[in-house]
Amino acid sequence: MQLFATFDNNLYLEMAISTLEKNNIEKDNIYAIPLDNRKEPRKLFDTLHQSDGISLIDIGVALGTAFSVIGVSIGFKMAWGPIWIGLIGSFIGFFIGLGIRLFMNVLFQKRKSILKGKQVEVILIIDCAETQGELVENILWEHFCFGVAKIK
Amino acid sequence: MDNYTNDNTARRYTANVSVLGTTQIHLRNPYIIAWWSMAFPGLGHLLLSKYIRGFLLFIWEFVVNLNAHINLAIIYSWQGDIDAAINVLDTRWLLVYTPVYFFSIWDAYRTTVDMNKIYILAEREEHRFNSFSISTLEINYLDKRNPLMAIVWSLFAPGLGQLYIHRVFTAFVGVGATIGVFYFSNFLEAVTLFIQGDIQQATPVLDPEWLLFLPSIYGFSVYDAYINTVENNKLFEKEQRRFLKGNYQNSNFRILKGKKVN
Repeated sequence: MQLFATFDNNLYLEMAISTLEKNNIEKDNIYAIPLDNRKEPRKLFDTLHQSDGISLIDIGVALGTAFSVIGVSIGFKMAWGPIWIGLIGSFIGFFIGLGIRLFMNVLFQKRKSILKGKQVEVILIIDCAETQGELVENILWEHFCFGVAKIK
Repeated sequence: MDNYTNDNTARRYTANVSVLGTTQIHLRNPYIIAWWSMAFPGLGHLLLSKYIRGFLLFIWEFVVNLNAHINLAIIYSWQGDIDAAINVLDTRWLLVYTPVYFFSIWDAYRTTVDMNKIYILAEREEHRFNSFSISTLEINYLDKRNPLMAIVWSLFAPGLGQLYIHRVFTAFVGVGATIGVFYFSNFLEAVTLFIQGDIQQATPVLDPEWLLFLPSIYGFSVYDAYINTVENNKLFEKEQRRFLKGNYQNSNFRILKGKKVN
């Protein structure tokens, strides 16, 4: 019997493999295939699961800092004071920078394909005796796999 | 204790996980790194994980800027009061400011361009590196963390985002600078008055010279924490994929072409 499962690249995957080995599944009967997900359009918002090297906030934080310095300086002469003007300056700078980055992204993004749902990062295949099928499936689910199929 | 003892057989390495932090070479935009050196000398080098020269330039900026009154001159200049700016500058310190300031920008830019080349070569070499470290005082390992949490903590107090991702040295610099600048600029006092709605009182409490350091420290801390969380996550993924390919791809493994059962 073989079980196919899909996983994220995270520590749960290694815990799943380790637990399987503890339950007498031989190392040679476990087959892992890391998938390449790089052909997708570049994602702007880096998350725990995804990042592609384009930093959404780099220009924003840089301009935010610059405008904040200017705001603080001018703010000493203004009724609202340096804290308000400095804060306002940093927000204006940040959003201008964010706007520039978003604009550049729209400009440079040639192919646009919409990918829905979560990206799977690893396929795991486990070869085991039929009696162990249930056990292996439970272990896979317990370690947050996305889906499992049992083949007989 | 490390999970890999380096025998120095690789020509170049991309990363090292030690108890004091995860250090890696990755692609960076040289203009952005140069910009942080412009905002505050030393910050570009800290982003590059060149901590000693970064820290040296960082301390230098505090000493010379405050003595030459550069920040005050900046404030007066933005206010349009050029005469006041000229008068406040201390010529006993001023001239030494320029060369070191521009050196830090130039050197950060140059180093980034160089290290990008190194990265491409090291990446192709794909040599193993240490990815787990435990000692009496600290534990460090690769895993995935949330870039947004790194931003949030650095916004609360610069340096905390760095602690979250185990960049101990940058955290030390960040937290140290924050304490110093908060104290000498009377920022927290002003914020208290400010929250109470007393803006008229809040402004005179502030020390403008010290306050002007704050935006750079905040901005840097947010950016550094964010970008390094993202890069550490990428490193984790890369290392895990390498591990899976090396250990779980037996050539005798055969796919069973049966039917799916429940």
